[in-house]
Amino acid sequence: MTTQIRQLPATPSMMSPPPARWPHLSTVVIVGLIAAVPLVFFGDYWMFVAAKILAFGIAAMGLQILYGRAGLMSLAQGAFMGVGAYAGYLVAQSGLGPGIQLLAVIGAASLVALIVGLPTLRLSPLRLAIVTLAFGELFNWLLINSTEWTGGSQGAPVEPLIIFGFDTSYPLDAYLVALAFAVPLTLFALNLGQTHLGRRMMAIRDSEMAAVSVGVFIPKTKIIAFVLSAVFGGIGGWLYSATTGFIAPPDFDLFASVFLLAAVVIGGSRSVAGAWMGTAFIVLLPEGFNLIGQPNLYALAGGLLLATTALLLPDGFSGVFAHIKSLITRMRAQEDRA
Amino acid sequence: MNATGYAMRTDQLTVRYGSFTALSEVSVGLRAGAITGLIGPNGAGKTTLLNALSGFTDVHSGVVYLEEKDVTTLAAHRRARAGVIRGFQTVRLLERESVLDNVLLGAERLHQPSDCSQILGLPAHWKWRTVARSKAADVLELLGLSSDSHRSVDSLPFASRRLVEVARVLISAPPVVLLDEPAAGLDQRGRIELAGALVRVHEQTGLTMAVVEHDIDFVTRLCGSVIAMDSGSHVMTGTPQEVFSDARVQIAYFGRAANAHA
Ligand SMILES: Nc1ncnc2c1ncn2[C@@H]1O[C@H](COP(=O)(O)OP(=O)(O)OP(=O)(O)O)[C@@H](O)[C@H]1O
Ligand SMILES: [Mg+2]
Repeated sequence: MTTQIRQLPATPSMMSPPPARWPHLSTVVIVGLIAAVPLVFFGDYWMFVAAKILAFGIAAMGLQILYGRAGLMSLAQGAFMGVGAYAGYLVAQSGLGPGIQLLAVIGAASLVALIVGLPTLRLSPLRLAIVTLAFGELFNWLLINSTEWTGGSQGAPVEPLIIFGFDTSYPLDAYLVALAFAVPLTLFALNLGQTHLGRRMMAIRDSEMAAVSVGVFIPKTKIIAFVLSAVFGGIGGWLYSATTGFIAPPDFDLFASVFLLAAVVIGGSRSVAGAWMGTAFIVLLPEGFNLIGQPNLYALAGGLLLATTALLLPDGFSGVFAHIKSLITRMRAQEDRA
Repeated sequence: MNATGYAMRTDQLTVRYGSFTALSEVSVGLRAGAITGLIGPNGAGKTTLLNALSGFTDVHSGVVYLEEKDVTTLAAHRRARAGVIRGFQTVRLLERESVLDNVLLGAERLHQPSDCSQILGLPAHWKWRTVARSKAADVLELLGLSSDSHRSVDSLPFASRRLVEVARVLISAPPVVLLDEPAAGLDQRGRIELAGALVRVHEQTGLTMAVVEHDIDFVTRLCGSVIAMDSGSHVMTGTPQEVFSDARVQIAYFGRAANAHA
């Protein structure tokens, strides 16, 4: 009896490139480029911009896990940045150092994610998006209305983080501190793609029936994705406030959440590299208009540019890279046969 | 094995969709370690029976037993963890992921390192990954999918997509396998080869299998016994020869009795 089933593949081996090492390489290149920005321009201002990209990029990676990998849309990633920023701020107010602050940031983000997520993650994706929207608004309202704790709508100055002698009130140091967090967090996000947990999340995104049929308990995996994304958001927000030296509710409002979602979608929601590309693009775009002396053009031209990018690149920037990569693989395969 | 000899069975199982009765007091069993065919015309309730066995549909009355334990109300994912893994009549895949990732999803049932050690990328995770990948390689080889393992499933021909789902079901060597028309869309040669592969898995692991299939030749080749259904009721159970030559089955299928042609 024949036991081998050998259907001729429509396109033979050329369609079977080796397992993806490339996305990792491209992520390393992109993080490297972002890391190199201050070295190229070498001015305080650009280091400040780069530090901001790193802080937002960390939050965007979190959203990429939730939206790109698990297929759950959140309009609260900006609010989770705020949870981290204010948790760090409150702990710093009582005179505690960066280590304790980091623990508080992670703890607060996880706790809030559990409180928001546990009762709502069984909702349909659209309803979940609405709930996260409501949570973000509620959070902002709380910030504004607890002035004695948070500084209210006026905001409050933030003590710089001082870690191993690096002081985030200096842009170069702020940049290096953010980099010291961005690198390991990027590695964690990349590693998720190698884990079964990451695959479970993709199954929830693509087919809950398939996930259940192999034994996945969907609510648990959703909660993990939500908490992970909140922790990334919290750390990003904490570093952002340390970089700017100031916190105020508008930094963490709905606009911030939409901004992060746009970054993930434009960069390409299916890869970690995409989150970084999207963030860099979306932070640098207004800076570009500043450079050419037309800051007012940003609202119009920037919006148009974002819309066109989103329309033209269904898989975002990282999709373009993946496409080029597959073209190269195919060309190589053709050469091999020639 | 238990006293009844059935790995899974139902007792007076009734499933209703609104006022429509899709299964009516069905009492059937999957003999432990055997491959059982499940036949019947369109709408007979074959898929509904698989859904009830795997926990994908609510049961109106009656009992589902797994190894003589009542699992009627056990949630679908728990039933999967208890060893009942199914495929779908309409394949459910992660469309833009690779064949390998789709198959590895089925490794969910293999004992995994904690989520925490996966997130942190601890050694336990990498070790598990190696083990799971070698199991995936084996099952891909068995189903002739090895050379496609890095292709995205949405670029595969229909028949291969079905095989990817079969591979996802088989990777964890589950004690009970439920397949819903796995050979649909395969050509004659593909059917023979799929039957061969399933027989080989069965010989290697001794699993219990139920296969929904219309093709008489495929069922005869694969199954030791066949359950015939019609209009939500159990018609008969017997060897393929007995079932296909039975007048009731022929009337259900062809609207008239004919000579056996199995
Ligand atoms: N979710 C549902 N809601 C309402 N009716 C349903 C549902 N699922 C199945 N049915 C009905 O139940 C009956 C049995 O369906 P089932 O899918 O079990 O048949 P089947 O034997 O698998 O048929 P086929 O060979 O076409 O796959 C059919 O009449 C079908 O229309
Ligand atoms: Mg069916």
